[in-house]
Order: sequence, then structure tokens, then C-alpha cells
Amino acid sequence: MRTRMPSTPGVVVRTAGAVMVSLLFLIPLLWVVASSFRPGNSAFGYTSPFTFEAFVPLGGDVSNYVALFDGYFVRAVGNSLLVAAATVVFGLVLSVFAAFALSALQFPGREAFFVVVVLSFLIPFDAIAIPMSAQFRDWGLANTYVGLILPGLANGFAIFVLRQFFLGIPRELLEAARVDGLAWWRILWQVYLPLCRPALVGAGLMLFLSQWQSYVWPLLIGSDTEHHLAPIALANLRGQLEVNFGQIFAGSVVLTLIPGLLLLTFQRHFTDSVAATGIKD
Amino acid sequence: MSNPRSTRRIGRRLGAIAVTAGMCTLAACGGAGTDAEGGSGETVTLQFVHPEVAGSFDPLVKAYEAEHPNVRIETTNVPFDQLQSTLQSRLGQGDTSIDVYTADPSRIPGIVARGQLLEISDLRDEAEAATIPSAMEPNIVDGSLWSLPIWTSSQYLYYNPDLLAQAGVEPPTKDPAKRWTWKQVTDAARKAQAAGAEHGLLIEQVNRYYQLQPLAESLGGGPGLEGDDLLTPNLTNDPWITAMNWYQDIHEQGIAPRGIAPDQMGPLFSAGKAAFYVGGPWVIPGWKEEGATFGLAPHPYFAEGEPTTPTDSWSWGINPNSENVEQAKEFLRWAALTTEGSLATIEKILIPPTNANAFDKYVTRLDESVPGVTDGAGDLMLHELENTAVHRPPSPGYIQFEEMMVNVFEDIRNGSDVEDRLAKAEDELATAFSRLR
Amino acid sequence: MNAPRTVLARRSEPVAGPVAGSTHRGARRRANRSGQLLTALAFLAPALLAIVFLRLVPAASAVVASFQESGLGGGSGWAGLENYRFLFSDPSFVNTIVVTVVFNLVLNPLTVILALGVALLLSERLPAAGLWRALVFAPVAVPVSVSGVIWSVVYQPDGLANGLLGMVGLGEQPFLTSTTQAPPAVMVTVLWVAVGYWMIFLIAGLKDIPRVYYEAAQIDGASPLQQFRHVTIPLLRRPMAFVLVANTVGNFLIFAPIQILTNGGPEGSTNLIMFDIYQLAYRLGDLSLAQTEVVLLMLVMLAVVAVQFKLLAPKE
Repeated sequence: MRTRMPSTPGVVVRTAGAVMVSLLFLIPLLWVVASSFRPGNSAFGYTSPFTFEAFVPLGGDVSNYVALFDGYFVRAVGNSLLVAAATVVFGLVLSVFAAFALSALQFPGREAFFVVVVLSFLIPFDAIAIPMSAQFRDWGLANTYVGLILPGLANGFAIFVLRQFFLGIPRELLEAARVDGLAWWRILWQVYLPLCRPALVGAGLMLFLSQWQSYVWPLLIGSDTEHHLAPIALANLRGQLEVNFGQIFAGSVVLTLIPGLLLLTFQRHFTDSVAATGIKD
Repeated sequence: MSNPRSTRRIGRRLGAIAVTAGMCTLAACGGAGTDAEGGSGETVTLQFVHPEVAGSFDPLVKAYEAEHPNVRIETTNVPFDQLQSTLQSRLGQGDTSIDVYTADPSRIPGIVARGQLLEISDLRDEAEAATIPSAMEPNIVDGSLWSLPIWTSSQYLYYNPDLLAQAGVEPPTKDPAKRWTWKQVTDAARKAQAAGAEHGLLIEQVNRYYQLQPLAESLGGGPGLEGDDLLTPNLTNDPWITAMNWYQDIHEQGIAPRGIAPDQMGPLFSAGKAAFYVGGPWVIPGWKEEGATFGLAPHPYFAEGEPTTPTDSWSWGINPNSENVEQAKEFLRWAALTTEGSLATIEKILIPPTNANAFDKYVTRLDESVPGVTDGAGDLMLHELENTAVHRPPSPGYIQFEEMMVNVFEDIRNGSDVEDRLAKAEDELATAFSRLR
Repeated sequence: MNAPRTVLARRSEPVAGPVAGSTHRGARRRANRSGQLLTALAFLAPALLAIVFLRLVPAASAVVASFQESGLGGGSGWAGLENYRFLFSDPSFVNTIVVTVVFNLVLNPLTVILALGVALLLSERLPAAGLWRALVFAPVAVPVSVSGVIWSVVYQPDGLANGLLGMVGLGEQPFLTSTTQAPPAVMVTVLWVAVGYWMIFLIAGLKDIPRVYYEAAQIDGASPLQQFRHVTIPLLRRPMAFVLVANTVGNFLIFAPIQILTNGGPEGSTNLIMFDIYQLAYRLGDLSLAQTEVVLLMLVMLAVVAVQFKLLAPKE
């Protein structure tokens, strides 16, 4: 397809199509960003009836963002960052270890282990969040950071991607390191990991995104205000009998900006690790 | 049935009784008073869960901690929509980190059946002496006291004088004898809309049973539940159907808006977008601050029926798994039964307390809140509480009932066939209630 | 782990003495004889612990709870299959299943088709193609719950959607308050995030199709449509299948948009199973019935995930 001669009218039509499609995806975001600078509930003055100022915050201010910094929301964003960062670090350790064992090492039943590990972690833990929250409460992990972090650590997809990368490393390297008498963990640290940076970043990104997104679990296990995560805090900006949409818009922007910047920075790694999943023929 | 869990529950009850007995002895020895627990020396922290805006109970906490140097109160606010689920998940799984929590009085039988409230019958005499009549009832289940009422409530018909003047409509007065009918309200609302008002009538808690029960009750339709145990749904009687048809029509005809949630109603009215608003007294301070213009009048009724108004508000109870039962009980007693404590609970929220002495002070405060507008609001509230208030049914299935009715009201508001939807609700409720037996 | 303490030192001197070298080789051979099972288990330990405590224990407790009485009426003994019998005879649960299945039957193929369409459009040589791709990808940064919050405001009577419709002269739409419009409205909130995400997978797949196939087809005089049918689709079958299944895994568990947008209504038209479970457990307090639904959901998930796994494994 990419080899067809780009005829000028064709390019124009397709470019127009591309612009239309991307605008379609962008419009809600644009509106949210613009409205986040509209104090209180005044944003609706520009959609009913509609004027183009709905997308351009002329005459707006940053009062919504200032109001969000009163403590509760900032704390929740901090919690989310902490939980997501810890998930990336410990989740990578777990995934790298598992992927290494399931690729570099040779032992009876390896394939069976692989199936069990990846299969178990492909099931999103949301499905069993309710029984698990009861267990966590019994174990005293309710309203603790550990309780918030633990279930997000194991991600079948991350393990899978890392293993694919590890399998791609020539065995001669491994053999040479063994001959050199390197311990397994040194082989992992000094041979495998340096060769797999894109997969590490990709897997880390997956872990981050899945934890940053999570909603059901923090709703169940982080029920005191001190342990609310950002998505919960955002939903909670709607009060019992009052609501300030300006702050909701601003909160949405904050919650989107953080993973957005990460994705922007590491987009290449993400795409690379996607491409390496072996889903292609 | 004999099984480990029910035995455990009985054990817990016995434990609670023992603690209660111990507490009485302690009070008797040390002499009743606020320094009874002063000797222990250890500071106890009580966890209190509530649905109000964060900081609402700061005055209460401050006043209480000043008088009780060995007790600290930590408050957690959970948004109203998540309060039930949060409490259910935590209490249901035996969480010990909640000491005192808020409960809707009509849910108390259900909560008691689940074993999630500590019996506090020893406070009953004192409570009955200190509390305004009728507020105690919902807190008593099977002859025992499980929680203390803190607040009660009533609702007014608010109007926007500017929008009414613009339409040439004479606003209603505060006189309950000249109470408007719903027809008068909708007629005036239509005129106001014709003259430029965006919405005719906003119903504050537009999908909650609390606010909509009086519609059917006004026509004599009953609470929707009947039978000795209040576990037989009856929603398809004529008054319910008539009331719900009216409720559907005002949305169908655009007098009241669809797709607007309860939390948006107040801001819409204060922004001058609606002619009428049916809601509680708690909106007044916020509207005053925003400089909204409004007047208030008695809650409307159906001409064919009787005046009826929503009532009751939160009760507070103690988690049976609390590790600080004595301190929790004292906190509860202080907040509900002493004038000082009761007033501290309403310092930031303009809602009527159930403590009789505090209530009198509240009435004055309400009257004085917006000069020229709220004068006489206190008397009107007293009138409603004494004459028109309808309690919600103390059914052990109330929790299921209330949760399911949210969907029923929302569906009817959005255009479902009224009779079909009510009949379906009866079936759904019967199915849900079968789980209770 | 059989790590000799001298490793660091040894690494810095490439030519090891023959004696030392042979000792280490001997150690390795001994380790090999017992296999690398112990080492592997050590590396797998965190994952295996996670399987036990984060998957098996909760799953088992759900199964146990599904055979118990609800406790709502005071009893908490064994209920046998009563919870299962109750569920399947309850019209509202049957509705939940129907809604969940229909939702997935529409939403998942739709996601693949849209993601494929966008991938085809944006993988072509276009001016600023990277920019358009980034814009379509941008909503991926929006957490699903935030997408719910955003669209709930978009769908308000005076929100953006009606504003734009009004501008082009179309009447106000009810969106979330209509039984026919609410399900698609919810789907849009999910699609908005999902299309850009899966687009990346499909672009990766498209890039992997060898150019020679297209060249050969062009020589045979195939039109672009024929090329699409006979080259692109067959060679993209596997990534598309993967996206379909992986997407299904997520969409069976949609919760936040429902809780934020519709609460399952109107008339139960968006009452997806994950929301129903939450509702049962925490709003109605019927934990054992909720756990029964969890068990059923787990079985379905297991089946879907098994298919996903098969698709992940590279074809030999």
C-alpha cells in the first residue's frame, strides 16, 4: 500500500480524512482543556448555545486549578503517582524475574509454568476484586499503600512482552556468560537487561497505565480519604448536592496530562514492544 | 440454624452487652461526667465516617476534643453516592477502623439485621428526654435502640422572584393554609418559562425516594411497602400511578429537566435558571453567599390529597467491631444529646438538629439567615414537622427498596411507561426481598 | 543461587587461569545435572506467590461464598446451588447477561473495524502523518474513568454534544436518558480511548506486511480495494484476532463508565455484569450472590483469555 504512487488528489483526500478523524478524537479533549479555565459552571454558557469560545478559553482564568490544590485532590494525585511508581518498580522486578526464568533457564515443565503464569495474569484482577478485597481486609491491607499496589504488580502482558524479547537474545551470549562463571542474576542484570531497554520501558509503561487507570480496586480498598487515588478523587468532586464542573474539567486535564507526557516521551518504546509481541505472522 | 457465623454474632452481642454493663458501672463509680475516661491516660482516636463536605464537622471535633483531652476524632468524608457501598464493604467485612458512622434512619432495620450496629439501649431514656418527638422512632428496632438521630429535615418550595415577576406571577406566601397545589406550581412554572426562564421546576433530589415518597403519600398511596414486615411491595395502586404520571409529565413537558443530577440542581437555581425549586433548608447559606435571589413557601401538595413533606435526616451509630466502644458512645451521646454538641454539628450546615434545645436555637438562626426572605421559615418548618412530615417505612428491606427505587424514578422520569415500570418494580422487589427470608 | 563471590574480579580479567576456570565449569555441570529448576523457582517465586495470593485464594473464596447463604436475613449456612438457581431464574440477571453479551458483540468488532480503518488511513504516506497519529492516540492517555467523567459532561442536556448538534441545526438529543441512545453513548466513551490504543497494534501489523505482496498485486492489476481484500486482510488476520480478543477481555469488565454515566439504566439497558456485581455486593449487600456472579464471570474470562493466549504465541 505504501508503495503506491502518491497521486496528488488522492493525498489531498486522504489528508483531509486524516485531519477530520484526528479532530474527531481531539474535540472532547480540546473542550475539556478550554473549559478547565472557565470558573465554576460557566463553561456551559459556551455550549448552550454553542460558540467557538467553547474551544478557546478567552477570558478564562486558572481558578479551578488553584482550587484543586487545596489538599484533597493534590494528595490523591500524589497517592496515584506513588502507587503507580511503586507498581512499575516492583512489577518490573516480578515480570523480569518471571520472564527470565521462562526464557533463559531450562527446566522440566517450563512451558507449563509459562502457560499458568501468563494465563493467570492475563485475567484482569478487576474480575476478582470483590473476593480479593475481603481477603485484603482480613490481611490488614485495607487502606494501606501496599494494599493498593499489590494487585497491580502482576501483568501477564508485561511478562509476555519481556519474555519475547529475552527469547530473542542469542543463546551464545548466555552460554558465554555461563562459561565465564557469571551467576544467573548477573547474567540477567549484565547481559539481558541492557539489551532489552525498549521492552523494559514498554512493560513499565503498561504497568504504569494499568495502575493509573485502576478504579474498581482503589474504590474498594482505599476507602479512607487519605488513601484515595486520583480517579476516585475526580469522581468525588461531585458533591452530595453541589457540583463545580470547572474543577472537574481541571482535574480531568491533570489526570490525562501525567500519563500523556509519559506516553509522548516513550511512544517509540511502547510501539516497539507492541511490535515484538509476536502477534504478527 | 446452627452454624459458626451466627454463633459468632451472638457472641459479639453478648460481648457488647458486657461492655455496656461495664460502662454503666464505670459511670456510676466515677460519677457521670466528661472526665470519666480522664484517668486512663492513653489517647484514643475515634474514626468517624460521614457524607458531608470535608471540614463540616471541624467545629464539633474541636469542641469535643477541648472537653475530652484524651480523645481525638478523625473524620472521613465519603461522597453521598458512595457512602452506602463504602460502609457496606467495610462493615460487612468486619472492619474495626470505623467507630462511629452515619446511617439513614430508614436503613437502620436492615443494618441491624446485618449485625452492623451496636445496641445502645442504655442511652434510650436520656435520648428520649433530649430529642424532639418522632425523631427517635426509626432508631428503635425490636424494642432496642441502635442509633441516635442527629438531624431531621423538611423541604420548602423556593421560587425565583425575578423570574416570577417577569411572567406576572404572584409568588406563593409562607402561610401553610395557603399552600400551593402542584398544579399551581406547574402553571406558574410554565408562565415563567414562556417569559424566559430556562427551567420551570427543579426537584432537588429528583431520583431519591426521600423526596418523591410524599408525592404518592399526598394522594394516599402509602409508602410503597405494606404488610406486617413491610416486605410486600405495593406500587401499582392508583395514587402511586397518578403521582408518578404527574412526575413523568413535568419532565415530558420540559417543565423539569431530564439528564440533570441532584448535585446540579442547586447551582442551576442559584444561577437564576429556574422559576421553582423544591429542596431543603441547607441550600440557603450557599445561595446567600452567591447572592442568589429567592423566596420560600410551603412544600406543595396535590389538590385531591393531603399536604405531605419529606423528613428525617442522618442518625449516627456505632460499629459493633469498634475497639473503642465506650469513647464512641460518649462521642455519640455528646453530639446528639447535649445542646452544645448538637449545635456544633450544625455550625457549618443549616440543617435542623433533633436535639430539642438546639432545635430552638436553630429556628432563630434559620429565621435570621437572610433578612426579609427567611423570616418565618423556622415556624413553617415546625409546622411541617408536626403536621405533614411522612417517615420512610422502617422495613428490613428498605435498603434494597431505596436502591431499586432510584432506578424506577429515573426510568419514569426518562419516559418509561409508568404502570409497566411500577409493576416491574414490584416483581423486582419481591425477588430481592425473597433473599431476606 | 550459585554465584561465586569472585565474579566481579574475574570479569575484569578476561583470561582466567585454567585451574580456576575448570573449578567453575565443574560447579556449573553439577548444577546442570540437577537441572535449573531451583534457580527457576527462585526467579519465579514472586510471580508464583502472586498467583496464589492474588488469583487462586480470592478465586477460591468466591467459589466458597457462592455456595453460601446471603446473610441478609441472618442465616449464613450452606446454600448449595441455591444462589446459582436464583440468579438464572432472576429476569434482571438474565437481562444483565443479555446486555453484556450484546454490548461485547457490538463493541468489540466495532473497535477492531474502527482501529483498522484509522490504522489504514494513518499508516499511509501523508503530510504530517505522525501528528495525526499522535492526535488519535492522545485519548489513550485518558484513564477510562476520566473518559466517563468527561463524556458525562459532554452528554449533559446543555453540554458539548447538544451544543454541536444545535450548531448544525439538529435537535437536542436525550443521550443517557434514552434506552436506545444510552448503550451507544457508553460505547463511545470506551471507543474514544480504545481505538487509538489498538490502532498502534494494527499499524505494527501493517508495517510487517512485506511490500512485495502489494507490488505483485499491482503488477496483476489489482485495484486498491482488491489489494486490501486479498493482501491486507489475510496477512493482518492474526493481529486483528489478537486485538479482538484482548479488547474483549477488557470490555467484559467495563465498570467505571457505567457507574459514572448511567448506573446501569435506563431500564437496565446498560447494566453490564461488572456493575451488577458491584451493585449487588455493595449497594444491596448481597455478597454471596455477587460472588456467584464473580464465579460465572471468572469462567468466561478464563475461556476468553485462553484464546488470547493462543493468539499471542507466535506461529511456528
